[in-house]
Amino acid sequence: MSAVYRAAIKVADRFVPAKLQPLWNHEAGPKTIFFWAPTFKWALVIAGIADLRRPAERLSLTQSTALAATGLIWSRYSMVIVPKNWNLFSVNIFVAATGLYQLARIVNYRRELEARN
Amino acid sequence: SSSSGHSRMSAGGNLFTRGLRYLASKEFRSYLCSTHFWGPVANWGLPLAALADVKKNPEMISGKMTTALFFYSMAFMRFAWRVQPRNMLLFACHFTNDTAQLVQLCRFTDYWYVKDEAQRQQLRRQYEDAAGEAAAEVAVAEPKK
Repeated sequence: MSAVYRAAIKVADRFVPAKLQPLWNHEAGPKTIFFWAPTFKWALVIAGIADLRRPAERLSLTQSTALAATGLIWSRYSMVIVPKNWNLFSVNIFVAATGLYQLARIVNYRRELEARN
Repeated sequence: SSSSGHSRMSAGGNLFTRGLRYLASKEFRSYLCSTHFWGPVANWGLPLAALADVKKNPEMISGKMTTALFFYSMAFMRFAWRVQPRNMLLFACHFTNDTAQLVQLCRFTDYWYVKDEAQRQQLRRQYEDAAGEAAAEVAVAEPKK
């Protein structure tokens, strides 16, 4: 498998324009996990936005709280680490935002239930 | 000087005292105040939330979010391994999360794609009854004025 990957990268290397070479070969660039792991965190945001359509009674309170908390804390940390990581910052802002919004929906729904009872 | 067996005079002290000394050291205290520690601590909320949800109604599981979390934790396991310095706390967090999310994915698939509607209805009624009992207990414990 890795032989296939290395061959594909060798081919791709030829197509990268000269101006983008430093970015392409960067130690935190698209050939490394340091690029793809934070990029993949956007999948949590997309899943969160897709979940906005779920009815409030089907949402998990613990998961939304955990996502909101981790998003908020990591947003702060990505500005504290050296060097500042704007990619990590932006994705965690969105994770926190979707988490908090879902949390608000769950809390409102449960309050309404209690009021009705 | 020679020491035999489990003498407390062995080099540096026994494992327990050496461990305690490390916990009191400047190195460990500065680690506790660093982002290498608190970042992963923040992330532990996710696996703990998933483990808490394992007992709950499988209808609370979001298939999309669980799948996304599964792949996200796989990527971050490798990230934690390759980052300098290597972050085993973050690795452990995402390893646990992957296990928990996989359990939830299996419960989700079983509930929606293996069980039939009659079994689902039965489970729904079971969870509703359990929720009703819990609410009744709360009402008895805190009588409304």
